[in-house]
Amino acid sequence: MKAIRVEQTGGPEVMELAEVPVPQPKPAEALIRVSVAGVNSIDGHFRDGSFRTPLPFIPGQEGAGVVEAVGAQAKTVKPGDRVAWSGTLGSYAEYVVAEEQHLIPVPPSITNDQAVAAMMHGLTAHYLVNDAHKLKAGETALVHAAAGGVGLLLVQLAHAVGAQVIGTASSEEKARLAREAGADEVIVYTQHDFEPEVQRLTRGKGVDVVYDGVGKATFEKNLNVMRTRGMLVLYGMSSGPVPPVDPAKLSDKGSLYMARTTLAHFTATREELLARTSALFGMIAEGKLRLRIAKKYPLAEAAQAHRDMQAHKVAGKLLLVP
Amino acid sequence: MELVDLPVPEPKANEAVVKLAASGVNFIDVYFREGRYKAPLPLVLGQEGAGNVTAVGADVKSVKNGDRVAWSGLLGSYAEYAAVPADRLVSIPAGVTNQQAAATMLQGMTAHYLSHDSFHLKSGDTALVHAAAGGVGLLLTQMAHHIGARVIATVSTEEKAKLAREAGADDIILYTQQDFEAETKRVTGGKGVDVIYDSVGKTTFEKGLNILRPRGMMVLFGGSSGAVPPFDPIILTQKGSLFLTRPSLNHYIATREELMARSGAVFAMIAAGKLKLRIEHTYPLADAQRAHRELEGRKTTGKLLLIP
Repeated sequence: MKAIRVEQTGGPEVMELAEVPVPQPKPAEALIRVSVAGVNSIDGHFRDGSFRTPLPFIPGQEGAGVVEAVGAQAKTVKPGDRVAWSGTLGSYAEYVVAEEQHLIPVPPSITNDQAVAAMMHGLTAHYLVNDAHKLKAGETALVHAAAGGVGLLLVQLAHAVGAQVIGTASSEEKARLAREAGADEVIVYTQHDFEPEVQRLTRGKGVDVVYDGVGKATFEKNLNVMRTRGMLVLYGMSSGPVPPVDPAKLSDKGSLYMARTTLAHFTATREELLARTSALFGMIAEGKLRLRIAKKYPLAEAAQAHRDMQAHKVAGKLLLVP
Repeated sequence: MELVDLPVPEPKANEAVVKLAASGVNFIDVYFREGRYKAPLPLVLGQEGAGNVTAVGADVKSVKNGDRVAWSGLLGSYAEYAAVPADRLVSIPAGVTNQQAAATMLQGMTAHYLSHDSFHLKSGDTALVHAAAGGVGLLLTQMAHHIGARVIATVSTEEKAKLAREAGADDIILYTQQDFEAETKRVTGGKGVDVIYDSVGKTTFEKGLNILRPRGMMVLFGGSSGAVPPFDPIILTQKGSLFLTRPSLNHYIATREELMARSGAVFAMIAAGKLKLRIEHTYPLADAQRAHRELEGRKTTGKLLLIP
């Protein structure tokens, strides 16, 4: 089958289209023909070696497709089922194997593109506003990269809950998209320092919660824009990892809370995974959650997709089509 | 620390003068005395007191002469009289003595915010409390027990183990003999705890992260073994998408409303007999030096009070 293979870690150029054997499903696994694969920041972290996995490997953690074959012990899926998945390495390929407990049935009302966008990005936005910090009506949330893949979904969910949303974005065009998604204010950080801006917008009080997938570039300033006992949820590191943190700072800046989260711990059981995907699929089908597909690339152009992602040109979801 | 004669203070417009019945001695007094924490000299130490109001400033409406009040967080309680901003004075209800009030303002409100606000401890949760026989530890253990949480307590001696058990701890780990990490895993069937209340800091922080259940919380509220050095936040992810807070009391009693609610809750527990205090050692004000030596020599358990 055709697949993107990484023989050694590095920049986008290390992702090359190769011809590899179709994987065989283990007893509790299924073989899926990939219709659409999703591109995520975490793919870049594996590709450049920030996160370790044995070489060579096929990148990609999510997708949607059709079950082709099942292992002997598979009970919940059968050939022909439309499924989506998140957290299974190997998705930048024509076929992928996944444990059946990680496969999510896709209802007829949801397209493949929507299903993929609802996976890592949707699940992340969902756990952030429901569990990492349960956002309440009247609270103020700062959402960085508000026009990014997770950002646009976070803004919509936060707005739906009745929270005030302050977003940050790198351009006027992205700010417009974030506002359309429901952000009350958007700071174009390439023009304005978000720290004094957030202070001004909150009349010196600070925000209740910061949802940050950016990491290094925003960390210190985040501590200065939160209200006393506010919560900083770090869920990603698109600008690089946050350097070592002195706990005393959390105290000095107002007895702040911080979490450094990853999706796996918020979808640890199949029950929790399906509860989140049902909620997301329901909102999508009702038109309450709009998914923005920024661009679709042929599988062979995965490197370009990563270049575009790294250049922060992307507002929404990037997809690869085998 | 020398006993001197100073003029009785006059209250500013927003202050009241309190004749002290008792002053609480705290480790923070040692830090101010040593200069680790800075304050202008000369200095009257002491951050915790209780007594009766004897004079009020022109703008004060919340207290009047004769009221029985307590306060914490403001220097000057190692004295017969102290001038205190009136909005920081809370009234002491019947059923709570001056000594009990002076003994629990700091430690009681700390135990209260830890168990009620830093982490919303509820019945069925499991909490690990380090130094469970210490000042805050014994109060926190009692409060957690009343909430219905299971308390795993770490202590250094059998005598302290007994105190912690009496306070309601369900499991005791003698950390001088056992590895608290392995023991906690064992008594929780490998699951870990929901929250850790850690006033020890340097020697316990990293191991604590290993025994929190996924999405559990580390409440680091002190550093008696030393400050926790800067750490890579990705460790929180690797250990289970953990939450961390490093709180200080002043942020949990910042408004008068919250101060009154929190002190009121602590006093109510004392009056109802739900919070047992260990006031083992009272010293005349003139013996402040001995009180500090005994506190620093860790010869005492329970609360130390100075009586003017």
